[in-house]
Amino acid sequence: MNINSPLSILVVDDNPLNVRLLETTLAKEGYNIFKAYNGPDARESACTNNPDLILLDIQMPGENGFDVIKKLKNKGDTASIPVIFLTGVSEIDAKLEGFELGAVDYITKPFHPLEVSARVRLHLKLSIATNSLIRSQADKLKQISDAQTSMLTTPEKYPDARFGVQYMSLHEAGGDFYEVLPISNDIYGYFVADFSGHDISTSYLTSSVKGLLKQNCSPIYQPLESIKMINDVLVEILPPGKYLTACYARLNRKTRQMRVICAGHPPVCYVPVTGQARILEMEGDVIGIFKNVLFGQETLIVNPGDRFYMYTDGLIESTDKKIVWSEGADRMLAACQSAHDVPISKAPEKITQLLCPDLSKLEDDIVILAIEV
Amino acid sequence: MNFKALGESLGLEEDEFIEIVEIFVETAVSDIKKLECALPSNDFAAVSDAAHSLKGSAGNLGFMDISRLSATIEDKARKNNITGLAPAIIELTALITGIKDQM
Repeated sequence: MNINSPLSILVVDDNPLNVRLLETTLAKEGYNIFKAYNGPDARESACTNNPDLILLDIQMPGENGFDVIKKLKNKGDTASIPVIFLTGVSEIDAKLEGFELGAVDYITKPFHPLEVSARVRLHLKLSIATNSLIRSQADKLKQISDAQTSMLTTPEKYPDARFGVQYMSLHEAGGDFYEVLPISNDIYGYFVADFSGHDISTSYLTSSVKGLLKQNCSPIYQPLESIKMINDVLVEILPPGKYLTACYARLNRKTRQMRVICAGHPPVCYVPVTGQARILEMEGDVIGIFKNVLFGQETLIVNPGDRFYMYTDGLIESTDKKIVWSEGADRMLAACQSAHDVPISKAPEKITQLLCPDLSKLEDDIVILAIEV
Repeated sequence: MNFKALGESLGLEEDEFIEIVEIFVETAVSDIKKLECALPSNDFAAVSDAAHSLKGSAGNLGFMDISRLSATIEDKARKNNITGLAPAIIELTALITGIKDQM
């Protein structure tokens, strides 16, 4: 978003009257207006014109508004454009679906042009504020001292988070790290990551990421939003070629909802009390390289006693034995299942013993973070 | 009908509002044609789509009588209920002609 050029809005509706009404109203406020009367044209305009906001009608013949949002959110260069959708008053399911697909707000039809104008203003402000927050966080981090954030979070510190951890760093400035974050009484965030390379800048960067996690993992942001914000800051501050792969899991023990985000990292193992244990396979970009990124996301409804295992590739990948993590994940899952009768605090140790009986042969850092619902 | 007041209530100048009403009349006429074509063949889906479109456009401009009447037509068509649809379409046509005459 360039503050010096006029802000632009893409208006999408199959009804030319609505388009004209919105265009007249918003152009008067000084916005640059792009128009589209169907889904495919809307997506094309979003790509070429890169508007600051999109007003999108849901009920359109052919490709409807939901299809359009889905496609926009799945494309790097349009994923971060805020979308407000237009929908009928009584269509509660449509509203929920719109939010689920990533819309920032909705306006009910028939709409009042001045209400549209006010909401557009609000969401442009929020979008500008978020962008400047990202910039200011990046500036602050350049000056941060690592003293406060370099300590490891132990299970004793947050007993309600119910986790166990195995952390072994081979190098003085290891690339692996983890963090456990209290978000509210019943909600905890769990983060496991691996920086590319092992140089001295890594430990400083680890502190920066921990600082960013504290700032951005809050109840107001969805996990995907938190990781995207962290990505946006890291894109600004990481040295060229440096990036990180990560998994972020947010568990709400009250609603029993677990949401897992994957950013180019070995997949999380899920071992439920009843039912089949499985690998949460997800595709996702790494963090810190691209401004427009797509991360994998899966949401699960879980039960007390269910376990999740997050880890780095050191245990399951071996350059000596030419094992990569895609096949290593199956061995990891089997080991996690074998540890089901061990208390959660001891489970990571048992898994390490199973996968790597002789720790002197370890080729890389190890993190295993075990979480029990 | 006071176009100036209706326009003001939407935050629009009278000339801006009139320009938009012209588009409204154009789309309304086409929606009514669709209604008239669809009704004899009992194409309820087409009737409710056209009525839905008219309901929205009229509602946005503050033409509440047209919007309400279109809502009734949409609702009946969704329930495949043909009772009263033909007279309602005639009434709609009259209301839109009324707007056209004032322009």
